[in-house]
Amino acid sequence: MMDHCFVLAKDSFAEFFESLSKLGRVYAPVKVSDQSYSFRQVESHEQIAFEALRTILPPKKYFYPTQETILRYNDVQIEEHKPEIDFQILFGVHPCDLAGLGIMDTIFTAGPADSHYLNRRQSSLIVGLSCMPDKHCFCQSMGTDCPESGYDLFLTDIGDDYLLEVRTAAGVKAVDPIMPLLRAAGQDDESRYKAFWSNRAQAFTNGFKPDNLRSVMAMEWDNKIWDEMADRCLSCGNCTPVCPTCYCFDLVDIASLNGTSGERRREWDSCQFVGFAQVAADYNFRPGPVDRLKFWYRHKLHGFDDPFGFQTCVGCGRCTVSCPAGIDDIVSVVQALQATNQAKTKHDAN
Amino acid sequence: MTTTTEQKTLPCIAVESLTGCAGELLVILDNLEQLLPFVRIVSFPFAQSKNECGPVDITFVEGSVSQPHDIEKLKRIRSNSRWLIAIGNCAVWGCVQAGACSRCHVEDMLHAVYGDESPIKALPARPLSDFVHVDAMLSGCPINATQFLSVTASLLKDHLPYITHKPVCLECKLRENPCVLIEKNLPCLGPVTAAGCGALCPSLGAACYGCWGPCQSPQMAAMATILQEKGYQLDEVLSRLQTFGAPDTLFARMKPDAEVA
Ligand code: SF4
Ligand code: SF4
Ligand code: SF4
Ligand code: SF4
Repeated sequence: MMDHCFVLAKDSFAEFFESLSKLGRVYAPVKVSDQSYSFRQVESHEQIAFEALRTILPPKKYFYPTQETILRYNDVQIEEHKPEIDFQILFGVHPCDLAGLGIMDTIFTAGPADSHYLNRRQSSLIVGLSCMPDKHCFCQSMGTDCPESGYDLFLTDIGDDYLLEVRTAAGVKAVDPIMPLLRAAGQDDESRYKAFWSNRAQAFTNGFKPDNLRSVMAMEWDNKIWDEMADRCLSCGNCTPVCPTCYCFDLVDIASLNGTSGERRREWDSCQFVGFAQVAADYNFRPGPVDRLKFWYRHKLHGFDDPFGFQTCVGCGRCTVSCPAGIDDIVSVVQALQATNQAKTKHDAN
Repeated sequence: MTTTTEQKTLPCIAVESLTGCAGELLVILDNLEQLLPFVRIVSFPFAQSKNECGPVDITFVEGSVSQPHDIEKLKRIRSNSRWLIAIGNCAVWGCVQAGACSRCHVEDMLHAVYGDESPIKALPARPLSDFVHVDAMLSGCPINATQFLSVTASLLKDHLPYITHKPVCLECKLRENPCVLIEKNLPCLGPVTAAGCGALCPSLGAACYGCWGPCQSPQMAAMATILQEKGYQLDEVLSRLQTFGAPDTLFARMKPDAEVA
C-alpha cells in the first residue's frame, strides 16, 4: 500500500483543524463575494470555503507580501530590515498553486536568493487539497494538475473521508498529535483515491494540446490576434498580481521629514503598466498595450523554456476571471495561435 | 506666530490657492504639526493672517486657473518659488470645473449661475501646467496625507519626489477586493485612474469615478468599449470619463474630431 498515507474521516476534520491551529496561524480560502474567495486567517474550520477553486490573490502573498520594508537608513548607516516571521499554516492549496509556489521557489532562490521570501517559506506548513476543475481550469494542459511536491500534507477528497498524504518531516510532525484520529490507508481507500484522480482527469473541459506550445509561441509573434486583443486591453495590470508566478516589484524610497532617515519599500508591480519599461531619456521599450500584452503572454508560455525548461503558467485561470476586458483567456489564445500556425504549416507543406 | 532665529534658517514653504474647494488646505492643516519642526510657513492665507510674499523654497498651489486674476497670481507665485508643486486634482487636471468646461460652454454656465450681470469673469478652467512650469504634480481629491508628507520630505532634500501614476486597479488588487466592474457590472474607472487613494471606492463595493484624474497613458478607448459592452451609453461613458478634468487629447482615438492640443 501507499507509503505515508492515512485516512482522516471528514467527521474528524474539526479536530484536525484544531491541532493545526496550535502550530501557528492558519490561512485558508474564505468566501468574500458572490464569485470570489480569498486566503484569509481562519479561527475555525467553519470559516473555510472548501468549494473554493481560485482565490483572488494566490498564496504567494504569504511569502512575498504585496508591500514590505527592505531596509532602513539614517545619516550613519543602512540596515537591512529583518521582518518578524511567525510560523504559518496554509490550508487548502490546490495543485496549480502548489506548482506556482514551486516556480516561485526556483525564481526566488536563483542567486542572489531572496532571504525574505525564503525565511517565510521555511517557516510555513503547506496543506494541499484536491479539487474538481471548473470551466476556467486548465492545469492539465500545463502539466501541473497532479502535485508531486511543494506540500507537507495533502488531502484528497474520497467521499466521507480524506486521504491524507504526509510528504515531509514537517508534515510528520504536524500529524503526530492527531495520529489517534487517523488510520492507515487500505486497499479500498486506495481504490477510492485512484477513482477520484481518474474522474478528475476526465472532468477537464478547458485546455489545449501543449505539445507545440513552444514553437507556436515563437512563430506567432506577429499574429494579428495580439493587436485585436490589445485594442481592448485596459493596461489595468490585474492579470499580474493575481498570477501565482508573477513576481515583479517596484522599489520606492520613502524619506522622513527630518531629512536624515527613511526606508526602502518594495511593492508588487506590473509589466502591463506603461511606466514599467520606461527608462532614461524617456525611452520606453514596451510603449503600447500590444507590446506589454505580448510580453506577458510570452513570459507565461515561452519565456522560461530556456534555461529553466518550464512554462510559468500553471493553468489556474485567475487571469481569465480577473481581466475586465475578457482578453486573458490563455486557452482561447493558444488555440487561435495553434489554428493559424497549423494552417500556415499545411500551406508551406503543399 | 512668532519667528525665532531658528525658524528663519528652516526652508520656507507657502501654501496658496486659486479656484478650488480648499480640500488640500484642510489636509495640510491636519498634518501641520508634523511639518512645523522642519519648515517655516511664510504664507498660508487660509490658515494664518500674517503672510509674507518674499522668495519661497516650496510653494504648494491648490485650485485651477478659472479667473483672469488666477493667472496673474500664479505667475507671481512661480517667479517667487524655487519649487512649484500643484496639489489636488484642480491644480493638476482642472477637476470638475474643467470637466464641466469640456462638456458645456463657460458663458452658458456663468449665465445659469449668475444671471445677466455676472460679478465675476470666468475662464474655462485649466490646470496650472497650462500656464507655468510646474515642478511636480500631486493629484488627489483631496490629496493623500501620506503622499503629501513624502513628497515634502523629498523636496526638502532637493530630490524630485516619486509620485505613482499607476492605476487604481493596482491598489485595488493589492487589497484583494472583488472587482466591482466584473462582478457587479459597475462602471468602475479604476483601470484609467491614477492610484493614491488606496482604491477607496472599490474597497467599499462602489465604482471608482475617477476623482484622482487619469493614470499614466490611460486606455480610454478600451475603457469606453468595455463599459459600452456592459450596457452603458457612449455619451454617458464619455461624460463619466471627463468629469474630473481628463483632457480631450486623451480621447483622440475615440473622438477623431476632438481638438488635439
Ligand atoms: S497566466 Fe493566468 S492561468 Fe496561468 S498561472 Fe498565471 S494567472 Fe494562472
Ligand atoms: S487584466 Fe486584461 S485588461 Fe487588464 S492589463 Fe491584463 S490583459 Fe489588459
Ligand atoms: S473594482 Fe475597479 S479598481 Fe478594482 S480591479 Fe476592478 S476595475 Fe480595477
Ligand atoms: S476609488 Fe476612484 S473615485 Fe474613489 S477615491 Fe479613489 S480615485 Fe477617487
